[in-house]
Amino acid sequence: MKTKEITEKKMMGKSTRAGLLVVIVAIITLEATSLIQYYYSQRGIKQEASLRAQSELRSAENEIMGIVDQAEGAVRNSLWVAEWCLDNPDSLVRVPQRVVENNPVVVGSTIALVPGYSKKHPLYAPYATRNSETGEIQTLSLATDDYDYPSQEWFTKPLELHGGYWSEPYYDEGGGNMLMTTFSMPVMDRNGKVAAILTADISLQWLTELMGSIEVYPNAFSTVVSRNGQIMVCPVESLVMNKNVLQFAAESSDSDALSSINEAMLSGQEGEMEVRYKGEENRIYFAPVERTGWSLSIVVPEKEMFAGVRKVGRLVTILQLLGVVMIVIILRVIAKNQMKYKKLATQKELIQNELRIGHEIQMSMIPKTFPAFPERTDLDFAATLIPAKEVGGDLYDFYIRDEKLFFCIGDVSGKGVPAALVMSVTQSLFRAISAHETNPSKIVISMNNSMSENNESNMFITFFCGILDLTTGLLRYCNAGHNPPMLNTEKLPVLPNFPLGVMPGMVFQEQETRLEYDDTLFLYTDGLTEAENASAEQFGEERMEAFLGTKRNAQALLDTMQEAVDCFVSDAPQSDDLTVLVIHYMAHPATEQQERHLILHNDIQQIPQLAEFVETIAEEKQLDQSLAMSLNLALEEAVTNVILYAYPKGADGLVDVEAILKPHSLEFIITDSGVPFDPTAVPEADVTLSADERPIGGLGIYLVNKLMDELHYQRIDDKNVLSMKKNI
Amino acid sequence: MNITIENANNITIAKLAGRLDTPASSEVTPIFEQLQNSADGTVVLDCTNLAYISSSGLRLFLTLRKAASAKGGKVILRSISNDIRQVFMMTGFLNLFEIE
Repeated sequence: MKTKEITEKKMMGKSTRAGLLVVIVAIITLEATSLIQYYYSQRGIKQEASLRAQSELRSAENEIMGIVDQAEGAVRNSLWVAEWCLDNPDSLVRVPQRVVENNPVVVGSTIALVPGYSKKHPLYAPYATRNSETGEIQTLSLATDDYDYPSQEWFTKPLELHGGYWSEPYYDEGGGNMLMTTFSMPVMDRNGKVAAILTADISLQWLTELMGSIEVYPNAFSTVVSRNGQIMVCPVESLVMNKNVLQFAAESSDSDALSSINEAMLSGQEGEMEVRYKGEENRIYFAPVERTGWSLSIVVPEKEMFAGVRKVGRLVTILQLLGVVMIVIILRVIAKNQMKYKKLATQKELIQNELRIGHEIQMSMIPKTFPAFPERTDLDFAATLIPAKEVGGDLYDFYIRDEKLFFCIGDVSGKGVPAALVMSVTQSLFRAISAHETNPSKIVISMNNSMSENNESNMFITFFCGILDLTTGLLRYCNAGHNPPMLNTEKLPVLPNFPLGVMPGMVFQEQETRLEYDDTLFLYTDGLTEAENASAEQFGEERMEAFLGTKRNAQALLDTMQEAVDCFVSDAPQSDDLTVLVIHYMAHPATEQQERHLILHNDIQQIPQLAEFVETIAEEKQLDQSLAMSLNLALEEAVTNVILYAYPKGADGLVDVEAILKPHSLEFIITDSGVPFDPTAVPEADVTLSADERPIGGLGIYLVNKLMDELHYQRIDDKNVLSMKKNI
Repeated sequence: MNITIENANNITIAKLAGRLDTPASSEVTPIFEQLQNSADGTVVLDCTNLAYISSSGLRLFLTLRKAASAKGGKVILRSISNDIRQVFMMTGFLNLFEIE
């Protein structure tokens, strides 16, 4: 047991280790696959996002450039008119009017003379603007006291640069209250001297719309910053034109990251960068807009960008975890099952062992030494019992007592252990009851009563019990629901009766028959006739009957029958217990009875004749002297009784004495035609009284009663018939 | 059935020989009546040669025993065979007689 436990533990350890290895390999494989997949998906997404962003930026830039070009064109194409008008400064007012009129993108325009260029107009800046409601062109003058135009950026920068210049964006306060930017260019006179600055204002309203229409990812946004870092477009309204990106970066906790992107963007580079802002990674794609110095950017939170792939990744991880859990569960179930099967196998072995012991006990209960009676020449006996399982519900028994063969065969309903328990009870009961009973029906009735009480499992037993007088061949038997035995090749006539154990108090009738020399009684349980082959056919009574009578010897017949059944059943498993008993009677039955007859007159002097009659019988039966004397005494008393009292005084009468000599008993029938008298009705004499109290008579009948085994009185045809029996 | 009677020292010894069956009993009834006369003393019934006894014989024994008890005498049975002892036992007679 100890070593078994250790091996079990070892086995457990082995299988656990193998299971662990499988799980680890599975996890590594799954994780590696998903990591690779994740990496490549991310790279793909990044590339794709980059391409999309670049293309969006390019198209936005193109659109911006279109408008920028229009505005620049409007100014450049008006330069010659301005130059031409310089000669007559008052006519210069037509130039901005023309610019606004001819170019819908231009919301306002001015031509501002360089101070001192015209003597007549030291400061001169007519400004034409389109009324946003009526669309009419209005003209104002910018040369006012509170607007020092020569110091404005749009004025100074072109002078400085000697070329076109796009101003920083600004809010137009006088005009449409909108975000604007201005393109300005110096106007040269014929001498190549800068005479004035011509401008065109464009609204940046469309820019916000344009940038807002870029949709790369749901939460992505785009920005436009000016060359100085002024925020022109941004989803946060409050920042627009209020914050400079440099300032924004300086205030932010993520200033380092923001500074580097600012640097790249403000220096007019194109590209993409990863920026960590407020704990989240963002990918920023940026591109400059030529000439204006603006920088466009698209900001995509990485979370957003990788949302899909991360969702898939999570799903994959969950599935992998589930897979691993499933693998673990399956492995555990497999391991458990293996243990269970091992345990079951062990338990089965234990049960098998116990059943084997049960089998041995059961087999030891039935007599199975054959030949059973080697010393006997008058009986040839064979029996077999083959349980379908280790233990079974069939039984048989036999033994010889007083020259009588007691035998029985039985079949408990059901199979296996429950049947075996009932079988052993039945077997024991038969032994116990038949030990002091020579009447088969009494044995069966007694057994039935015992077995019916407390028969809670409702098991019953078909049972056949027989007692064969080996001397006379007289077979007395009682059947309790068992199939009829075969006498030679014919069925022994049996009353069906109920099986044992059905109900207490039932009566089982006895039957008898006489066996002749060489008769064979074949008893069997239905395991023989109902033996099935592989195609579920039964051996059947016909096949059985065909083999009966083929052999005289009991064992040979049994062997032949068994061989036939084995051959028929072949490989099919035995379906029921199989029991066969063969009784081969080989005695010449003794003449059962001899009869002697004596007729006496009712004269007391005839008694010696009776004594002689009895003496002859005693000699014939070789009875000992004391038994002979007992018989003599009983006969004398009975006959004296008739002689003295049956007939009236003086009347002549006869006493008929008939003796029936049986092998084991003597029967005397005393008949007279005298007055009716039943000696068995006479009260028994009290033999305990003292000499004085004792009556003189009354001892005769008393002695008859004591000396004989049975005493019966009958009045038949006006005759007293007294029969007495003595077993010898 | 043959009975011989001897008298000595106030003891009467009756020697019974043969079968004391019913006809024999009626035959020896007078002898037993005679024995009753000696029943004031001791009567010994010597059964050495008694082969058989039936109830009628037992009645003779019992009658003698009753007479003895009436007269203050006693009846002694001598040498009864085993078979007859069985009959006496069966009938309770062993208690009624002194057995030698």
